[in-house]
Amino acid sequence: MIDGTRLEGRIRVERDGSVTVLSGKVEFGQGIRTGFAQIVADEMDVPIERVKVILADTAQTPPDRGTFGSHSTEQEGPTLRRAGAFARRQLIERASSKLGVAADRLRTEQGVVRDGDGASVAYADLVTDAPLSGAIPDDVPLLPRERWRYMGKPRPALEAVDIVSGCARYAADVRLPGMLRGAVVRPPVRGAKVRAVDDAAAKAMPGVVAVIRDGDLVGVVAEREEQARAAADAVDVDWSVPATAEGETIVLPLREDEGVDAALASGAKKVERTYVCPPIANAPIGPSAAVADVRADGATIYGSTHRPFGLREAAAKRVGLPPEKVRFVLTLGSGTYGRSSSFDAPMEAVILSKNVGRPVLLQWSRAEEFQWSPSRPEAVLEASVALDASGGIAAWRYDEHTNIHTSSGFDPSYGGESTGRNAVPPYRVPHAHVTLYVEPTPLRTANFRSLAASENVFAIESLMDELAHESGQDPVAFRVRHLDDARLRRVLERLAERAGWGKPRGERRGLGVACTEYHGTKVAEAAEVEVSPSGVVRVLRMWAVVDPGSVVNPDGVRNQIEGGMQQSASWAVFESLRHRGPRVLTSSWDTYRIATFRDAPLSIDVEVAGDPSAPSSGVGEPGAVPAAAAVANAVFAACGARVRELPLTPERVRAAIAAR
Amino acid sequence: MKLTLRVNGADHEVDVPRRATLLAVLRDDLGLVATRFGCGSGQCGACYVLADGAAVASCLMTVDQAVDHDIVTVEGLSQDGKLSPVQDAFARESAMQCGYCTSGMLISATALLGHTPSPSEDEIREALAPNLCRCGVYGRAIRAVQRAAGAT
Ligand code: FES
Ligand code: FES
Repeated sequence: MIDGTRLEGRIRVERDGSVTVLSGKVEFGQGIRTGFAQIVADEMDVPIERVKVILADTAQTPPDRGTFGSHSTEQEGPTLRRAGAFARRQLIERASSKLGVAADRLRTEQGVVRDGDGASVAYADLVTDAPLSGAIPDDVPLLPRERWRYMGKPRPALEAVDIVSGCARYAADVRLPGMLRGAVVRPPVRGAKVRAVDDAAAKAMPGVVAVIRDGDLVGVVAEREEQARAAADAVDVDWSVPATAEGETIVLPLREDEGVDAALASGAKKVERTYVCPPIANAPIGPSAAVADVRADGATIYGSTHRPFGLREAAAKRVGLPPEKVRFVLTLGSGTYGRSSSFDAPMEAVILSKNVGRPVLLQWSRAEEFQWSPSRPEAVLEASVALDASGGIAAWRYDEHTNIHTSSGFDPSYGGESTGRNAVPPYRVPHAHVTLYVEPTPLRTANFRSLAASENVFAIESLMDELAHESGQDPVAFRVRHLDDARLRRVLERLAERAGWGKPRGERRGLGVACTEYHGTKVAEAAEVEVSPSGVVRVLRMWAVVDPGSVVNPDGVRNQIEGGMQQSASWAVFESLRHRGPRVLTSSWDTYRIATFRDAPLSIDVEVAGDPSAPSSGVGEPGAVPAAAAVANAVFAACGARVRELPLTPERVRAAIAAR
Repeated sequence: MKLTLRVNGADHEVDVPRRATLLAVLRDDLGLVATRFGCGSGQCGACYVLADGAAVASCLMTVDQAVDHDIVTVEGLSQDGKLSPVQDAFARESAMQCGYCTSGMLISATALLGHTPSPSEDEIREALAPNLCRCGVYGRAIRAVQRAAGAT
């Protein structure tokens, strides 16, 4: 194991003076590689062009629990800053003995240590005898903000030029000598057991190397991809379908104040509402893929996952090797927004490769990606709220009914934090009951950007809008009067200014707002929509103001927030995964409509208003959280239609118009 | 079957199954992996290439159809190691997150600017509409195409 608390586990100064940064985190396009390079380039005082970041290579990077919850910069940033500062201090000490000049007379300048009289030594010449090493101290002085060259400034992604020039390599782009292609034979439903396999026809097909049955996995390995697919279709498997176990509902109180019932009963006004979110698909553009090369004495897996070290453990166990004999090497990955916390394609590739003793590339088809991937579960959100005579919230009861939101199973000690994420409102509510009901589902569910927060915030922020309208209050002012969090209040007020809250929008147009706090990040969003007479919702413009604490790469933050908003607007307006029992019916983009260039808003305006005195918090997920409610609230503002079930289809909008 | 494909300005001889898709041959026989698989059915744009200057889905074209065309992939957009204006503009506008959809967008944008050097925003949206992006970089991609149009 590489020790991430030691400098040699974090930073290497190479012989050519370039700097290698090591982290067990994973890049999916959220820009962490660039952020880490900015941090280390500044603290070490080297040109950023000379910094290379290696992520999630289990043979080189320190172990990590996983890349989740927009935590990467918050978790790794401080360690890498201290590592960089510690490295710089060691370089100065070494230069001091080499040049015979007291350390306090030396300074660094972009990869070189200098004294005042013109003597200098390059970093590269200070590591020829021994690499930098040692436990990274907690108290190493960090570079003061005025000397930051890269941190806090916009920076294009380090990978950008590789991506546009076609040099970038994703899992499915890995090519190894002797590599074969795999395809898996899918059962009628998940969990089916193999009774018998008839592979005679498949084995006779061109290019087929082997038909593999390993436990309940049946697959084909062939010379070419299309051969493997064709042969997989020709394998005849007799499956036994297990009876579906019913499962139990887990009830988890998230907040239990005294006196809620009395306060609900005695309120001046009571509002009861139910909101519904359908299951939706992570739907990455690149279907799951991995290359595995399993030999008798060791294995290497190339791919992309949220949990590289977890994958290594699991793969080692499956093939009977000690974990240190299994290496996971991260490639670039299609954005999967949480989906690749499940090890599907990599584990299947491992099993196929083990059986043929050669490297195997497996990439799922589009239909497999829709039908066999885990997806975000549905949610039914029930609320009863009482307002007092002044229109303030007096009591709040909120029940979240949903399924497990994580692939790793349900852990009640963590359940409120994942499956119940953001069920407790950020508002001042004197009496509140918030309860999470985790119900069984035949569908396979898993992590999707912000877990349950996007459903809960859709409900809570729609509800706040309804409460304001029901009591004749302004929706922004109503939120503000219930917010104790000064940073969240500030982003909401700033958003109202930027979006021109209160300005008339024209016929059949309206502006809606929503806000939330997500893992320390404060974010408020607005959407302007146009609703056609037939109920078609078009998102015209979006705004966000976000405070993610101190900011390493403002343009990286903007890009993440914009992307989250665009994705969430797509969820809200278009998306719903069709299924019957355990069978997902959606199998192609034809039947799973997402936003396209035609639907993209005319503008998405993001103001990054990070509080520099607060620690960095994440931006990968928060942008996606309030957007659906902002859109739904805008639909109400545009035409008086209150739609409480997503997506905002023309039928639902028309029905809500009729019900006004 | 043996045939000769013209890709990125050079002739390539390949020996592949007749019904193999152009996408498979580019990726698996010619090593041009920047053309990506997304759906295999013409619905996502990830596999787009230029065929005589027009953006087409290489997952729907078989190799024997491709022999009649001059094919260009993302690897062929740069000239003498210099990024094309479209590539450069996408990098400068950071018009990507994961980048999986980027190759297809670059191809659609290049095809558009080939016949419409100063497109309107609506024309850009129409031309790139087949290119799905789940990370949501549409706005930036539109700006990138506008920047590239300004530069050419
Ligand atoms: S892979 Fe060809 S259009 Fe999707
Ligand atoms: S940048 Fe990830 S799909 Fe477009």
